[in-house]
Amino acid sequence: MSIDLPATPAPVGPPPPFDSELAAALTLMGEMPAFTLEMLPAMRQGVTLPHEELSRDGAFLVEDRTVPGPAGEPDISLLICRPAEVTTPLPAIYHTHGGGMIIGDNRTGIPDMLDIARELQLVVVSVEYRLAPEHPHPAPVEDCYAGLTWTAEHAEELGIDPDRIVVGGTSAGGGLAAAIALLARDRGGPALIGQLLLCPMLDDRNDTPSALQMAGVGVWDHSANETGWTALLGDRRGGPDVSPYAAPARATDLSGLPPAFIDVGSAETFRDEDVAYASRIWQAGGRAELHVWPGGFHGFDLLAPQAMVSQDAKAARVRWLRRLLDA
Amino acid sequence: MKELAGRLSALDPDAGAAIQVIAYFDRLVADRAGLEAIVRGAAVLAGCPARLVDADRRVRVRVLADGLRQDAGPPPDPQWPTVPVPGGTARLWLERPGPAGPVGAMVLERAAAAAREVLDRTRGRAPSKGRREDPALVELLLDASAPREARLQAARDLGLAKTAPARAVALEGGEARIVPGSPPADPSGDLGGRRAGIGPAVPVLDLPDSWPPARTALRLAAEGTDQDPGPRVVYADELGGLAVLAAAVGPGSEPPPDVRSLDHAGAAAPWMLPTLHAFAYAPSLRTAAAELTVHHSTLQDRLAHAEHLLGWSVRTPRGRLRLQLAFALRRLHRHPV
Repeated sequence: MSIDLPATPAPVGPPPPFDSELAAALTLMGEMPAFTLEMLPAMRQGVTLPHEELSRDGAFLVEDRTVPGPAGEPDISLLICRPAEVTTPLPAIYHTHGGGMIIGDNRTGIPDMLDIARELQLVVVSVEYRLAPEHPHPAPVEDCYAGLTWTAEHAEELGIDPDRIVVGGTSAGGGLAAAIALLARDRGGPALIGQLLLCPMLDDRNDTPSALQMAGVGVWDHSANETGWTALLGDRRGGPDVSPYAAPARATDLSGLPPAFIDVGSAETFRDEDVAYASRIWQAGGRAELHVWPGGFHGFDLLAPQAMVSQDAKAARVRWLRRLLDA
Repeated sequence: MKELAGRLSALDPDAGAAIQVIAYFDRLVADRAGLEAIVRGAAVLAGCPARLVDADRRVRVRVLADGLRQDAGPPPDPQWPTVPVPGGTARLWLERPGPAGPVGAMVLERAAAAAREVLDRTRGRAPSKGRREDPALVELLLDASAPREARLQAARDLGLAKTAPARAVALEGGEARIVPGSPPADPSGDLGGRRAGIGPAVPVLDLPDSWPPARTALRLAAEGTDQDPGPRVVYADELGGLAVLAAAVGPGSEPPPDVRSLDHAGAAAPWMLPTLHAFAYAPSLRTAAAELTVHHSTLQDRLAHAEHLLGWSVRTPRGRLRLQLAFALRRLHRHPV
């Protein structure tokens, strides 16, 4: 099944306006150059969050564990943050970080995950997967899946309730979370309780109306998206034989998946592929909660966390998790 | 995607930051953002809680540095940097000890300008001077027999909140005005420098009760000239027993002898009445001399001369009260209604 697009794409209008607070926050960023692979080395430079900062004054016990990677492949590293004061098994978020498949590490996006974990008493496990283009598909997703199966198998040791593992991530990490949910279903892997897909990167074809509409606009535009997918898939990008474990939008069967939470901005490349993914889960008889935040650009809640729409978006995630884990 | 959380709160306090502050609020204005977004911008860019209060429009918005709205907060600290929002009674604060610093000052100025546009657009334009002086609306508000709804509508049209206190003002020439009841700022600028009596602060529907005291206060307002020295604006709240005295002095009543004595003394020299008035109300002879810019021995000489013309000593407590009453009675007779 594919997204129902006319054979000749209908012309799209101008990009939807950004939310006013988000637009004002963008003015602080100045001009951002169009993203290319040449910028990778600079973008990969960054400070890795140390344990002291992750522990939040002792609220979390933090460790990095080296665990087996996919069969025949190198080991992988997991960042594990556990609420310090609780000794009984806790639900967990298994986190796959964002960064367009090409940048970031297992600390990327963790502060927001720890905010949620602190409020709901969750363990956070975040996987360090190999990045494209040096490691194209399937290396990233197989690393993520290997970390998930190890986590589920060692749940007791980690103080995790194995029946209450949510996979989740932002952007490329949202795509990877959706992909390992498909893998877990198809390989009879860990039983997941939910998938938290935050502005997920799902469709390598990069040709939805929103992808075309946002060309040259916002934080992750049409050409940046093409760069990321090409790094992961090379010549296969947009072609006929792309695996659903690389680009979950390619999956023909979205039944039998754990409940999904999907959020996305109305003014970003991923809007239509994310809305379509939620719709197709419903059409397959599944459970999904979809939030399209008006005037949100890609990753708006990370860039402008104080904005009202960002606060609302973050609160909606917590409410979904609360309902999911209460049951 | 590069993670950029916290970037907003990490502005460098340099010239570049000021330009970013301008761009930020310009964008909010261009997008017609709301008050909360503006106050949040101030809080986030300044890195401390920010609050906007408009008593007239019953608006209170307070946002913490992390963007959360929390209207409850401590009373404003005089140390906090603050600016008035132009064109109204609203005020914006940064909740941290001053001074604001260059970036903080820019945040305050830009946020206040942006807030003014939103307040005018969403809460009704602050009434223009012309509107606030509309005689028909003022007359309606002061008329206890007019329907309650009509008076409330008139209050709204004059920019007065239904529950906020207001004062009736009697101006020389018979004109009436309404001014906000609090703060009791010096309204003389708004009154065109004319003699004025200001009534007590009351709820807008009780304004008819504020009008008679305002008229009494006007009778006790002076011209502020050598021939009628004293304040040109008088608050009814401060009259005390003089209000009773005013009721006793009606049109056609004869001026008492002390008023005639004061007139008699005043005719003797141009400095006489200003000198006596200054001495009657100054805390000491020395401060009266300073106010008149004469040496205190000169003032002693002048007072001796005045006492001779008046026929009583003004330098005893009893004589000073008699002099104050003579001035009050003289004004009441000059303005018999």
